[in-house]
Amino acid sequence: MAECCGSSRPKQAASSCCGGGGKNVLLYACSGGANVAEIADRAARRLMAEGKGTMFCLAGLGADIQGMVQTARDADLNLVLDGCPMDCAKKIFQRHGITNYTQAKVTDLGIEKVKGVRATDEQVAAAADAARAAIAKALMA
Amino acid sequence: MKRIQVLGPGCPKCARLAEVAEAAAKAAGVEYTLEKVTDINRITGFGVMMTPALVIDGEVKTVGKVPSAEEIKAMLA
Ligand code: SF4
Repeated sequence: MAECCGSSRPKQAASSCCGGGGKNVLLYACSGGANVAEIADRAARRLMAEGKGTMFCLAGLGADIQGMVQTARDADLNLVLDGCPMDCAKKIFQRHGITNYTQAKVTDLGIEKVKGVRATDEQVAAAADAARAAIAKALMA
Repeated sequence: MKRIQVLGPGCPKCARLAEVAEAAAKAAGVEYTLEKVTDINRITGFGVMMTPALVIDGEVKTVGKVPSAEEIKAMLA
């Protein structure tokens, strides 16, 4: 059995590889140094663990890795999870002219960006909820 | 000479992409080489995680889908 069709890779990747009917949803978190960026990162990882999508490296897009840019372009949907109104992840998508994304933002949930503070489980759960809702809405559109 | 690479560990969709790419190259009348890249480390080295993917002359053209022969012909032009 080919590796992608086995169980060694995430469900999302396997379904795209084997022509399964699932949508290719990619998850990009800003994953910066702030507490809200940590929340974005952990929420994206939670969604990946739930099988809602495959987390992919935002830094690769920022670094203009051509195959990574094309991967985002060809996804059915990219979830862009930013920590704050700086919108770093969204701006990277915009710079590449990639339009098939939907954004969720941690500070929109009333969570403050604070230096030297760690994310709490409750905040991660709230961001994951917002991200799930954004994905569902975008896939319905 | 066009260098066509099909990235994928060998599932049916990967094989289909290789067939379509070869047919497109023949129809376009271009000289080409076709390589099936099945090694997962080489595949991820292209920045590709969803397969199959099509690479022409080192540039990743499509990811996670099988384009039509017409689309691939345009990429080979
Ligand atoms: S969006 Fe805000 S939290 Fe995220 S990396 Fe940019 S500045 Fe940091």
